[in-house]
Amino acid sequence: MALESEANAPATGPVVAPMAGRIVLGASCTIHEAQQMRAQLLAQAELPGPYEIDGSAVQQVDTAGVQLVVAFALDCLERNIAYAWKGRSAALDDAIRVLGVGALLESPV
Amino acid sequence: MTLDLAQFHDTFFAESFEALDSMENALLKLSAGDADFELINTIFRVAHSIKGGAATFGFSEVASFTHTLETLLDQLRGGKRRVDATLVDTLLRSGDLMRAMLLATQQKQPLDKTRVAALHAEIELILATPGDSPTTTVAAPPANAAQVPQAPSPVQLSPEETRSGWRIHFIPGPKLLRHGNDPLRLLRELTTLAPCDVRVDAKWIPPLSELDPEECRLSWRIEVNGPVQESAIKAVFDWVEGECDLKLEAFGPAAETSEMMPAPKIPPPVEEVAAAVAPPAIESAPAVEASLAPKNNAASTQAAASAAAAALPSAAAGDGGSIRVSIEKIDELLNSVGELVITQSVLSQLAAPLEGHDAEALRNALGQLERHMRNLQESVMRVRMLPISFVFNRFPRLVRDLGQRLGKKIELRLTGDSTELDKTVLEKIGDPLVHLVRNAIDHGIETPEVRLAAGKAAHGVIELSAYHKGGNVIVEVSDDGGGLKRERILAKARERGLVGADEELSEERVFNLIFAPGFSTADVVSDVSGRGVGMDVVKRNINELGGHVQIHSTPGQGSMVRIRLPLTLAILDGQLARVGSEVYVVPIVSIVETIQVRAEQVNSLASRAQVFRLRDDYLPIVRLYELFGIEPQYTDLLDGLLMIVEADGKRVGLFVDELMSQQQVVIKSLETNFRPVVGLAGATMLGDGRVALILDIPGVISRFQAQETRRSTAQQAA
Repeated sequence: MALESEANAPATGPVVAPMAGRIVLGASCTIHEAQQMRAQLLAQAELPGPYEIDGSAVQQVDTAGVQLVVAFALDCLERNIAYAWKGRSAALDDAIRVLGVGALLESPV
Repeated sequence: MTLDLAQFHDTFFAESFEALDSMENALLKLSAGDADFELINTIFRVAHSIKGGAATFGFSEVASFTHTLETLLDQLRGGKRRVDATLVDTLLRSGDLMRAMLLATQQKQPLDKTRVAALHAEIELILATPGDSPTTTVAAPPANAAQVPQAPSPVQLSPEETRSGWRIHFIPGPKLLRHGNDPLRLLRELTTLAPCDVRVDAKWIPPLSELDPEECRLSWRIEVNGPVQESAIKAVFDWVEGECDLKLEAFGPAAETSEMMPAPKIPPPVEEVAAAVAPPAIESAPAVEASLAPKNNAASTQAAASAAAAALPSAAAGDGGSIRVSIEKIDELLNSVGELVITQSVLSQLAAPLEGHDAEALRNALGQLERHMRNLQESVMRVRMLPISFVFNRFPRLVRDLGQRLGKKIELRLTGDSTELDKTVLEKIGDPLVHLVRNAIDHGIETPEVRLAAGKAAHGVIELSAYHKGGNVIVEVSDDGGGLKRERILAKARERGLVGADEELSEERVFNLIFAPGFSTADVVSDVSGRGVGMDVVKRNINELGGHVQIHSTPGQGSMVRIRLPLTLAILDGQLARVGSEVYVVPIVSIVETIQVRAEQVNSLASRAQVFRLRDDYLPIVRLYELFGIEPQYTDLLDGLLMIVEADGKRVGLFVDELMSQQQVVIKSLETNFRPVVGLAGATMLGDGRVALILDIPGVISRFQAQETRRSTAQQAA
């Protein structure tokens, strides 16, 4: 599962209802989960910001997963909504570094 | 008079490509440490001839590049420079580039000028270094760069100025992610070559609500900062070729030096080059004519052009007595021979009932004619035969490059490469073999560390062998890697519903699962995917050739794929079988056995279908008269015969009235002469002038299954 709400604590559990302000990325954020991850990020974007993104549980990530987070971040930038990273796993950090998208994932505020 | 040189282009291109094959073979032998003068001479001759031909035909970019390469090869030939692995790599890449340039020229496509300029500069730089020192590459240290003659400034270069590497512009195509290719993996691989400065471009990312998450909308500009070979960079992007827009540009001393160097020497004018490459016997005549009678340029140019095309070394060195004949002409010849065989057969049948002394003499003469006809047929067939080395020859390079890319040490062994196969079969077996060898390298052979830990030699071995067996050609691809993972394949098959949860399968059937459509090899044994052709396609291609494929694998010891192929697609060893007044030809290769049925062996099922018990197996009975809607002599199974045939691991019993003779038949295509019919592979003419239909056993089985399904559906509806 790509994305979870804080309310559903287990790292691989599905999102039942997005929790305002908190985005928890699941253990796997790859192309296999990309459609679902996008739907959940869109649902999250419906809720008022600022947001807190927790990527500390991410174990598997690929370009599709990172691209979605970048798109979400760019939307936030566009809407002038701040977000902050609560945590990023080593796998996620490494993917962000290798893909060179670090600067795009810095909160506008 | 204007001479149309284009009439020589086809010959020039065909022979150039063959010559490049021999150049690559020689280079691979050089890289294996087999450095001898003759090998270097072979390579030089290829470059020299292509340069001459290209200049003659006005392909100036090819001529210019090859001229520079030839200069380097001349230094090797003269012993002024020694051969090392780096230089061999450069020469291999030069061969690749020449092939790409020739192909683009042939197809009237634009050349990849960036690639040409980069390699041109690399060779110029090597030429600029002292010959007795080790060869230098694009990543030459600053000291070498400073030694380049004609460099405008001898001043000390700053670190920034001496920095060298590659600028890459990488724009993934829309389907790249869907095909399992992940830019993250590619970029990570690049960073293992040298430190990289990665800049992402996100300007094409739409709002999240409009983003197709399976489409990559990011692109990258990457600077690879270090002495990295162009081939190493390209190897990273090897498997996404065609799925992305990729631009490579060298920077640093190598690239700058090439700009500072004088322009590449332009080859001499057409006549001069043509005269230079023409054989001595005809060299003087056009040259003299040109000087004495300038108006006769067309004639001299024509002679020069022919000479340029003819001067290319043949792929099969030393075959001075060969000529080039189009395959269509050979097929026409084969067709005529086939008609003659039929006529001879008709004559034999007509002569059979005759009596008297003259009749006996006639039959003797016809017997002799039959022997001569068979010899003639075999001779014509042999003309179409080519050694399998034509396919095997591509593998040393493939194994070398892919092994390097994956960090695996692999020894390739080729045996039986003189085994001959029909040209058509040979052409169609190439791609499946490439896939199997790539699979063996990628999924079979382990990394040196894993092998050492398993108590194996660090070097893996891939063996390609070919041999004749029972009228077929067997091609085997084996490796001494980790073997197929039986449990993993079975688990994946259960997950996909291909195998029932409690169903137990033999090892052979488990291994055969990897040929199932949609059963991705990548899912089974590796994380590498997206190569467009799967094992199901391999099997389909081989089956279409009338061949069979089997897998053997032992955990920890390796795998072997054995392919059985017919020698030719033009004739077939067949068993004639009669059903009513019709005669069918059953390919002997598909026949397991033929039996007379006993009543207790037959069981009728509820659906009216009948099965036949053969030892421990139950086989469906296919009544050919029902399948093809004809009137049989017998409908009772006890009166006729059951031919047990096999295709794709499925066995059925074909019910026929009687068996006739076995004979080789010349296959006439139904598709060409009529239309394709499921279950029929073609037709042939028998000795008595009748037409016999040749059965396609896989098609017969699928036609039977479709018929049974329709019948069962109709029964249920009723």
